[in-house]
Amino acid sequence: MKKLLSLLLAVAMLLSVSAAFAESAEKGTIIYGSTTEIGGDFAPGAWWTNNATDNMIRNLTNDYAVTVTDQGGAYVVNPTVCADLSSVVNPDGSKTFTVKINEGLVYNNGDAITAKDFVWPMVFSCSSVATEVGAKLTGYMTYVGGQDFYDGAAAAVSGIRLIDDYTYSITIVADKIPYFFDMGYVSDMPFSIKYWLGDAVELKDDGEGAYIAGLTKDAVSAQLEYARFNAGEDRVSAGPYNLVEFDKAALQATFTINQNYAGNFEGQKPSIEKIVVVRAEDATWADAIKTGAFNFYDTITDGAQVNTALDIIEAGGFDYVEFDRPGYGMLNFQCDFGPTQFEAVRKAVALLLDRNEFANTFCLGWGGVVNGPYGTGLWQAQEAEEWLEVTLNTYSYDPALAAEILTQDGWIYNADGSEWTEGNVRHKKVTAVEAGDYVHNVTLADGTILMPLIIEWSSSENNSVSELLNVMLAQSEATKATGMVINQNVMTFTELINYYYRDGSQGEKYLVPTYGMFNLATNFTPAYDMSYEWTQDPDLVAQGYNLNRLYNDSLDALSMNMVYGTESTDPETYMAYWKAYIMLWNDILPQIPLYSNVYITMYPDWLEGYEQDSFWDFNQAILYATVAE
Amino acid sequence: MGKYIAKRFAYMALVFLIVSFLMYSLYNLIPSDPARAELEGMKQTLKPDEYEQMYQDLRARMGLDDPLVIRYARWMGLWPDVEDQGFNGLLQGNFGYSNFFKNNVIEVIKSPMSNTIFINIFSTIAALGITIPLGIYCAVHKGKKIDSSVQVVTMVGYSMPIYIIALIFMFFFCVFWRIFPISGTKTAGAIYANDWEEFVDMFRHICLPVIVMTFASLGGMTRYVRSAMIDALSMDYIRTARAKGLKEKVVIYSHAWRNALLPIVTSIIGWFISIFSGSVIIENTFSLNGMGSLYWTGLNNLDFELVLAIQMFYTIVALLGSLIMDISYGLVDPRVRVDK
Repeated sequence: MKKLLSLLLAVAMLLSVSAAFAESAEKGTIIYGSTTEIGGDFAPGAWWTNNATDNMIRNLTNDYAVTVTDQGGAYVVNPTVCADLSSVVNPDGSKTFTVKINEGLVYNNGDAITAKDFVWPMVFSCSSVATEVGAKLTGYMTYVGGQDFYDGAAAAVSGIRLIDDYTYSITIVADKIPYFFDMGYVSDMPFSIKYWLGDAVELKDDGEGAYIAGLTKDAVSAQLEYARFNAGEDRVSAGPYNLVEFDKAALQATFTINQNYAGNFEGQKPSIEKIVVVRAEDATWADAIKTGAFNFYDTITDGAQVNTALDIIEAGGFDYVEFDRPGYGMLNFQCDFGPTQFEAVRKAVALLLDRNEFANTFCLGWGGVVNGPYGTGLWQAQEAEEWLEVTLNTYSYDPALAAEILTQDGWIYNADGSEWTEGNVRHKKVTAVEAGDYVHNVTLADGTILMPLIIEWSSSENNSVSELLNVMLAQSEATKATGMVINQNVMTFTELINYYYRDGSQGEKYLVPTYGMFNLATNFTPAYDMSYEWTQDPDLVAQGYNLNRLYNDSLDALSMNMVYGTESTDPETYMAYWKAYIMLWNDILPQIPLYSNVYITMYPDWLEGYEQDSFWDFNQAILYATVAE
Repeated sequence: MGKYIAKRFAYMALVFLIVSFLMYSLYNLIPSDPARAELEGMKQTLKPDEYEQMYQDLRARMGLDDPLVIRYARWMGLWPDVEDQGFNGLLQGNFGYSNFFKNNVIEVIKSPMSNTIFINIFSTIAALGITIPLGIYCAVHKGKKIDSSVQVVTMVGYSMPIYIIALIFMFFFCVFWRIFPISGTKTAGAIYANDWEEFVDMFRHICLPVIVMTFASLGGMTRYVRSAMIDALSMDYIRTARAKGLKEKVVIYSHAWRNALLPIVTSIIGWFISIFSGSVIIENTFSLNGMGSLYWTGLNNLDFELVLAIQMFYTIVALLGSLIMDISYGLVDPRVRVDK
């Protein structure tokens, strides 16, 4: 026993000595803690997977897109890459973009970048081989001639042309034009065909369109598989950083500066020499950052974690940047059955919840409230900031007004048809169509159908938003006094989604409209496109569009015209549609935005010039950061 | 013996088929649509007709519209594949395709498996190396102060959830004393001059998880060994051995321990089998890329082929383990016949 204890003490001492070598990130190296573990798939875009950390890695190592989004999320032409970009609308309604790229751009291995490097991924995205190897590419639906090429009816994609070594053109199909965000159609990046598809294939254009000679699944699948998961010196890329190592066992990726990088759209090159991405855990991240396991923690969303981070920052060694979430958590209504089909009921729910208090409590002071379908980080919202403030109804907490609105809408009966009295559930006389098969309906002896103000709410399990909503809304005295009942139904998120989609393929019960209210969350992209979100086409609704089941002609028309009825050169018209859409949405209230978080990113205090924002991510912001002297 | 083993293998094959069908059916009872989940992220970039076309194509490619039995048979390799019409399932060595990682399952589990085995070997050896001598010592010194103290400590260790032990150890060893790194298996950005340096760095990182796992498993095995040894030491043959004038060491290790081994061997072999299975809590707490963590990721992302492959692997390991256990009874105690 004594020997054993002695041995243990000796080992402890040895390890104490080795503690001298414990992690202490050297100045100039970013050790990026990520709670989303690296999947290890580094294929361009989201050809196969869409893991957030993999995406960040792809964006660190790939650049030179012809068009990019700037700090505010607006599309701009990238002058580092593009010498000239022109477009013309063809008589058949299609639109041709011609791109001339700059000469002199090279990959990290020194190979020259030419038009072929931009063109082959587009042709590949039109090929059935892409589908055969499991890639989620849909280019064949976008480029003229793409569908014929995909179906094997054409040997080349007529809408993609290789004009010379530095010039190419693409023609977008007519039914996707006009499109306000059509600059996104030319946001292609260059990739080395040799690295991704191997030596057996070659991009050609014989005058009928571009095609990849020798492209078969057998010819490219092995190389694609290798290229996707490979990290190291033989990885060919053209971004600000090189992925020099990915340790699968430790799930750790290491990057160094790509010396051949010519800069981003503003000519900015990185100066942080080394970035290491490591795994972080929600439960232990604070201790990990204190002990130097990593020194950079991106986009802290939870209010409690933000406060912990601020305590660490206050102790010294770290700094932070804060920015608004480009989205919000919400109550989402289904508007084709039960009480939530009535606008007055949705408004009453909004008035019965003190959203400012809710956001403050849930986000612990790190969040706010929006009054429409936007995030404050969107360029559209920033441009219309004053207008939003003065125009939109804020639905401030007002139970008396909620009761008044319900009364005006006819929710004035008890279950026996007598006049509603406080302490009872309100009912409303409804038509047979309005009544539908709602389970709580009451039919009186004279045939009158009364719908009770009982809202069935589907909420996901282990969800702190649900718990707070239950206290502040469903169980609140104000809700009860108003004559409204909100029944919380806790279920798994998968179950919730099946009910939300009314997905019959997962079981007959999901086809039955059961829950009128769901708590969910959403984020927006800079390309604010709500087309088809309010479609009335039953086939599209069955496919999963217009999940709110709110059939409003004006809302549908505005959401479509905003993007498909507006030229990309006409931002004024776009903004006019955007404002009208937001205003109408705010009035009919298919959702109630609950909270929009304020995020923070903490970083070592030797990092200067780091400015992150809602649409300006780590991989973009880090290019401007420097090491303090 | 050969005939017995062959018979056991036949039973194992039958059990494996039944378990695999039950597991496959259970996961397919979960109401989820992998095709929809796959395309959800692309919905905003596609027009409705494009989305529908892709959705239907994907359902067809995944074989989601086929009956459960056909899907099971295809997964097992008893029914032709949707795309190439060949037999390409579990029986042909294809563990499946991970929908989350978009890679073959066999590729996905390689690194986590080697990490898990590496960590578990150390913790198993350490735990057995401590618990067996400690259990024997306590049994021999039953009722003494040291025995009572060990009983208290092991009871505390046995009763405390492992995540609490992990967090307490983490606080003292990583945050307070800064002896061990807090997470991962490698110093961020480290460049090693040779394999030995890499091994030392990895060893330093896994020390604390190993200590926590060892500490958490001390209670059960120590008490088990102690109890078996107390039973053995109370037997008449021990009294006879002592009466013969044998040395106490010989009495304890040759006579008592040998007889106490039979009930203990089940646990010991069980421990070695568990070398392949990771700990969800430990791996997630210490940010280790192991089988437990992978299994958790698979479940959270409804990656059923990955989860099923892991479970089928454990099923095989458990079946083989039970065979080894039965055979080992005969080796440990010649009175036990396993060939009937």
